[in-house]
Amino acid sequence: MPAASAERRVSRESIAVSVRDVGMAFGDVHAVRNASFDLPKGKFLTILGPSGSGKTTLLRMIAGFDAPTSGEIFINNSPVSAVPPHRRAIGMVFQKLALFPHMTAAENVAFPLKMRRHDARAIPEKVERYLQLVRLGGYGGRRINELSGGQQQRVAIARALVFEPDLLLLDEPLAALDRKLREEMQLEFRRIQKELGVTTINVTHDQREALVVSDEVIVMEGGRIQQKAEPVHAYRSPANTFVANFIGVTNFIEGVVAARDGALVSVAAHGRTLTGVAVGDAPATGGACAGAVRAEQIRIAPRADALDRLDTVLAGTVADAIFEGERIVYEVRVPHLGDQLVRVFDHDPVNHLQFSPGDSVCLGWNARDMHVFKK
Amino acid sequence: MRKSRAAYPLTWRVMDMLEAIAARLWPARFARALPYLMLAPAVLLVGILVLGLVQIGDSSLRVLDTSTFLMSEDYTLANYQRALTESFFATVAGRSLLGSVIVTVITLILAFPYAYLMVRTPSSALRNVLLVALFLPFFIGQVVRAYGWLIILGNQGMVNEALGLVGVPPMRLLYNYPAVLFGLIQYMLPFAVLMLAPALTAIPAELEAAASSLGANWLGTFRHVVLPLARPGLVGAGLVVVTLSLTDFAIPAILGGGSQDFIANAIYDQFFRTSDQGMGATLSLLLVAVGSLLVGLVFMLFGAGTLAMTGERK
Repeated sequence: MPAASAERRVSRESIAVSVRDVGMAFGDVHAVRNASFDLPKGKFLTILGPSGSGKTTLLRMIAGFDAPTSGEIFINNSPVSAVPPHRRAIGMVFQKLALFPHMTAAENVAFPLKMRRHDARAIPEKVERYLQLVRLGGYGGRRINELSGGQQQRVAIARALVFEPDLLLLDEPLAALDRKLREEMQLEFRRIQKELGVTTINVTHDQREALVVSDEVIVMEGGRIQQKAEPVHAYRSPANTFVANFIGVTNFIEGVVAARDGALVSVAAHGRTLTGVAVGDAPATGGACAGAVRAEQIRIAPRADALDRLDTVLAGTVADAIFEGERIVYEVRVPHLGDQLVRVFDHDPVNHLQFSPGDSVCLGWNARDMHVFKK
Repeated sequence: MRKSRAAYPLTWRVMDMLEAIAARLWPARFARALPYLMLAPAVLLVGILVLGLVQIGDSSLRVLDTSTFLMSEDYTLANYQRALTESFFATVAGRSLLGSVIVTVITLILAFPYAYLMVRTPSSALRNVLLVALFLPFFIGQVVRAYGWLIILGNQGMVNEALGLVGVPPMRLLYNYPAVLFGLIQYMLPFAVLMLAPALTAIPAELEAAASSLGANWLGTFRHVVLPLARPGLVGAGLVVVTLSLTDFAIPAILGGGSQDFIANAIYDQFFRTSDQGMGATLSLLLVAVGSLLVGLVFMLFGAGTLAMTGERK
């Protein structure tokens, strides 16, 4: 018993943020409902969700700008509901950066140190060190409007980190950047986070960003946490149809459960029987279900004999071929699935654009690549 | 071809016709002159004002002959000498200048929280109430409002009656310097709030959230973020209040009861009581000079604020 409680204390001490049953209601509208999760120290968590899913509200509650209407948030095991933002040791990078336009880059970075009464003599050296960390060494004297968008991002990061906060919050700061710069900054966030080991919570609607930067991903929808998992796990084993649909490109085949054999489920759809793997609450025989197949798990071939090792093979007609550079997206109309359009990624570098609209093709996938969810 | 034309709405064809007429009357090669043409009425109005100033300048150099009540034929600087040496004028000038500075400082201090609340409150109902309360005095007018204060602050007024209920003997609340300053502050407050509000709206609320997440309490946020960014609004509002109160006539006349004259009242007396056009003109020019000097000084120290309209801020 003493050993067990000691072990529990160790694990509690390694938790940076603990969100317990947190809810936020504006009258009858619930922006966040019963959110609970623990975030270990040093981890990079991304809260992923569409706009209006409650992800920003959750972040603002952790920052202290809004108070939860139910539940409690613990930072380093202390409840923080009664602690105003300026007394929490949290660095935040805002959506519109919120840099102070009347100060230089260095004055912006020095601001939290001054406000937190750090030793004034050590401030210039520390400011320069953090500007170098974000690769802006020597830019301290520039005014904010003299910096490019990417440089402003870096100043905002340095300002949020310079006072060595317990927690770094990122409120979609990359949303406004063009794609190239955004991907560069994603890697930059990851590098800095690994270098300093600061616990980080990032909010975004960009599934790619979530997969690239995070140690863990929380998917939110309708104010509820849908899944919390490592990025690979969230991608490969989505907990429900929402997650399956939100991350990646997924085809859903609706039908009813015809038979079950352990984890394997036979789905009757449009007069055919397809085999897949059950996920979560197993749907009962006769119950409505949806089979989800990722676009990249589907093989496409001119004839069925090229796909004879696959469990499910269906014939169809190419409706559209979309060239996306590193891959082709085919939209294939499948008569056996009630003329449903199935999206297929083709990464074949040799036979690029091998099919054109109107071509007859065959599609095939493995039973383990179709996840069957209860409807 | 005709059919497709008929498909256009009537208003489009009317606009086409008007444009054709405009092109006839004002061919495209005159286009560069158009902005100047639009400027002409305003320039003309200001020009008439300048003519008036020249006339006043001329009058200011003539003295009143007290035996004939006619202006002298010769030019002399006697009026200026009198205005700068006689202690009566120095007293009036000092009272006006000090008064306008005090009024400006207090008005800005009072207007800032009002404007801030109006801009930042999440409740649109409160914002509307604050806005309506701001505009209400404009509908009443300055003179009527000053008379209102006479009723409220008079010896048998509401304030003295209320004081009487708690046993305080009636006090003379009117016809003194504080009464004039009080009236001016009350009159200037809406102007200051209306000048400050746009400047505060231009400060993103996110900046204040950022400051607090970086460790600044409300005082730190106010001093280092809100106040510096609100400076253009404060300068603009300050300039408007200082010039309006320096040149005000009605409030010192009514609430001062003749004992608290500002420069404008002295000018009025010269023109309409003693009929000394020369002296009135001299005082007017001196007021313009002092006012311009004051505004110039503020421009040099603090910049032109929102009045600069350089459009460099995003």
